[in-house]
Amino acid sequence: MERVALVGGGLAGFVAYLTVLRSGVPPDEIALFAPEADPAAAWRRRAAAIRQTHMRSESDGHCLPATWPGLAVREARRRRSLAPLARSVCDRYHATVPDFLEHVEELRVSSGWSPRAARIERVTPVDGGFSLEGHGEFRHVLLATGHPGLAVPEELRGDARAVHSYEPHEYRESVCVVGAGLAAATEWLNALEAGSTVISVRRREPVRRPLAVPRPYLTRRGLAAFHRSSPERRALELRELLLPSYPPGREWDEPLARAGGRFRVEERVNGADQVICATGFLRGVGHDPLLRRLVDEQGLETVDGRLVLAPDATVPVLTDSTRTLAVAGVAAQMAYPAADTLGGARYVAHRFVRRCRTR
Amino acid sequence: MSYTLIGRLESRLAALALPFAAALVLAAALAEWWPVGLAAAMLAAVVALDLVYHPVLRYQPGWAALPLGLLELGVVMAVVLALGVRAPLAVALALFAAAWLCAQVLGHALLPLWRLSYAEDGGELGRRGGALAAAAVAAPLAAAGGLWYAHLPPVVHLAAGVHQGPLVITRRERLVGEPGAVVRGGIVVAHKNVEISHVTVVGGVNGITVDGMRGVVLDHVTVLHPQEDGIHVRGEAITISHCTVDMTGVPYGQGIDISYNMDTGETMVDRCTVVGGQEGIVTHSSSAMLMHNRVERTTMRGISMTEMSMGGVMHNTVLHAKGIGILCGDHSTCMIDRNDVAGTTVDRASEDRERAGYGLVVEFGAVGDLGRNDLTDNPLTMGVFVGSLVHWQR
Repeated sequence: MERVALVGGGLAGFVAYLTVLRSGVPPDEIALFAPEADPAAAWRRRAAAIRQTHMRSESDGHCLPATWPGLAVREARRRRSLAPLARSVCDRYHATVPDFLEHVEELRVSSGWSPRAARIERVTPVDGGFSLEGHGEFRHVLLATGHPGLAVPEELRGDARAVHSYEPHEYRESVCVVGAGLAAATEWLNALEAGSTVISVRRREPVRRPLAVPRPYLTRRGLAAFHRSSPERRALELRELLLPSYPPGREWDEPLARAGGRFRVEERVNGADQVICATGFLRGVGHDPLLRRLVDEQGLETVDGRLVLAPDATVPVLTDSTRTLAVAGVAAQMAYPAADTLGGARYVAHRFVRRCRTR
Repeated sequence: MSYTLIGRLESRLAALALPFAAALVLAAALAEWWPVGLAAAMLAAVVALDLVYHPVLRYQPGWAALPLGLLELGVVMAVVLALGVRAPLAVALALFAAAWLCAQVLGHALLPLWRLSYAEDGGELGRRGGALAAAAVAAPLAAAGGLWYAHLPPVVHLAAGVHQGPLVITRRERLVGEPGAVVRGGIVVAHKNVEISHVTVVGGVNGITVDGMRGVVLDHVTVLHPQEDGIHVRGEAITISHCTVDMTGVPYGQGIDISYNMDTGETMVDRCTVVGGQEGIVTHSSSAMLMHNRVERTTMRGISMTEMSMGGVMHNTVLHAKGIGILCGDHSTCMIDRNDVAGTTVDRASEDRERAGYGLVVEFGAVGDLGRNDLTDNPLTMGVFVGSLVHWQR
C-alpha cells in the first residue's frame, strides 16, 4: 500500500502537495491525480474571464506551506522596496494576478509537480487505506476536487444572452450583472470601463468586507466555537458567513459613482443585451461526482448539501489511526469556512500532513 | 492574527526567551541584579497586558505591534519605577527594543516557518513548543533566583543579652538581633553590603560606624549614649530606617552624621528618632534624603544639611532645638518641605544672629527650595543669611 495520494490538481491540491513535501515525505511516496498538469489552470481561466488584476487575499495568498515569506516579501526583494512589506503589515497588500501565477509556476517547476493525468471518480475504503479506482491503494488520501461547476440561475438557462462571469466574454452595450459578490463587482467595473450601461440585479445589498470570511474565523480562536456547534448549526452559520461580498474601498465605489446613469440597480433581468451571471459555483457534494458517490456508497452525513467533517477536515467514519481520508477546497467548509481560499487549502494541508507522518 | 489566549502567552514567552538570556548574561557580566529585575518587570508587565488584550483584540493586525509596543514600553517603565529597579535608561530601552524586535521577527517569520500551522492555531506553539517557550523564560528566571539565593548573605542572629564590643563586622552578613540583644561598646561595619537590624548599641566612641562601605542597611537599630556620634557614616551612601538614637548627656556628638559621600549616591534616613546631642541629623558634602524623622532637644541644630550637601528634608518633626531648627547652609541645595518645627529656643550663650531661635535658616550661599513647612511655634520663623537664595514652591 502506498503512503499518500492527492486527488485533484488545482490550487488546493498543489498547496497540499507542497506541504506534504515540506514535511519530509519523499516525492516518490506522493501520488498525484489531476486532469491538468497546471495547478493554476482553472483559476487562471476564471481570473482571466473576470479580468481580475489583483488577489483578494492578503499577504498569505500564495501556495507555500508556511505563511512567511509570502508574495509581499518576494516583491519587496525584487523591487528593493519596503513598501510591499509595509502594506502587508497593514493588511493592504494584494499581489497582482501575474505575480501570483508566476510564483505558482516557479513552485510547480521547482517542486517536481507532475500529476498522473487521471480523473478519479471513485474512492473505496479498504483495510488500512483506500483504493482509488484501479490506481492503487493508499493509506492517506486527500480529495481536492475543486468547485463542481458554475451556478447559473434556473430562469437564465438557455437564454442566449446569458454568460457566466467565469466564462470568456466581451461586453455589449447594455449589460445586466446578476450577483453581489466579488465577481459581480468586478464585472460592474469592467463593463463600465468598456463603455457599457450596467444593470445590477441582486437579491440583497452586497456585504462589504476585506476578506470573504471574517478574520477571526481564520484561526483557532474563531473556529473553536464553530467546531463545537452541531453540523446543522454550522451549516446555518456558513450560510451567513458566505454571503456574497466584496471589499470596501474607493477603487470599488468611485467608478460606480462616476458612472451616473450608466449604472443602476434593478430587481429583475429585463431587456439588457447581455446577462452576466456572477453567481459563483454550484454548491454541495451532490454536484461533484466523486464526492456524491462516496457519500452515497458510504452513507456519509451531509447537512444542507455539505459534507460533515471533523475539525481537521477528515471524514470521521473513514479516518482512524491507520488511514486518513480528508477533503480540501470548497468541500471542506464544514471544517474551515474559508476552505476555498489559499489560506483554507493551507489549513487543511497542515492538518493532513500531521497524519501523513505516521507510516 | 487572531490570537488565542494561550497562543498570545506562548508567543510572548517565546519572544522573551532571548532577551531574558541576554539579561542574565548582562547580569553575570556586570555582577548586578538590575538586568534580571528589568527582565522580570518586563515579563510581568507584558503578560498582564496580554490578559487585557485578549478580550479586546479579536483580531490584531500587524501594524498594531507599533502602538501596542509603545503602550507596553510605558507600562514596563512604570513597573520598573514602581519596583525600584535601578536600570540605566538607555540599557532598559535597548532591552525592550530588542525584545520587541525579537517578537516581530519570531511572530511574522520564524514561528510560522517552524510551526506551519502557527497562524491558524492563533499563535499556539503546540505542547512541545509551549513547554519550550515557558521553560526558556522560566529557566533564566530560576537561574537568577537560584543565584540570588546563593548569594544571600549569611544571617547572624545576635542572641538576647549584652555582648561586649566593639563588634567589628568584616564580612557580608545580616546581623539580626533577637529581642533584648545589646552590643556594648559600638559596632564598626568594615565590609560592604552589611545589614544590621533590631540591634541595640550602648556606648562606644560612635554607636555605629560605617566608613567607606557601600550597600549598608541599618534597620530598626537603637543607639544609646555613645561618646561621639550615634551613627557615624563616612564616604559612602547607606540606608538608615526606623532607628532610635538617644544622645542625652552627649553635648558634642551628633545623632546621625553623614559626611563626604557626595559622589557615591544618596543616603536615606527615614523614620528615625533622635533625642539630644549637638545636632540631630547632619550631612556634610553629602547627598541625602532625610524623611519622616523626629529630632528633639538638640543643643546646636535639629537637622543640618551643610557644606555643599544636596538633598531633601521632608516630613520631619523638630522639637525644642537650641538656636536653629533646620539649617541649609554653606552652599548646599536643599528641598525643605512639610516639616514641623516647634519650640526652638534662643541660644543666649551665642552672639551669632542666626541662633536667635529660627525654625529654619538658609545661610552662606545655600539655596533653599521651600514648600509648606510649619514654623509658626518658634521665636523666629525663618532667616536667610549671607548670599543665600530661597525658592518658594507653589
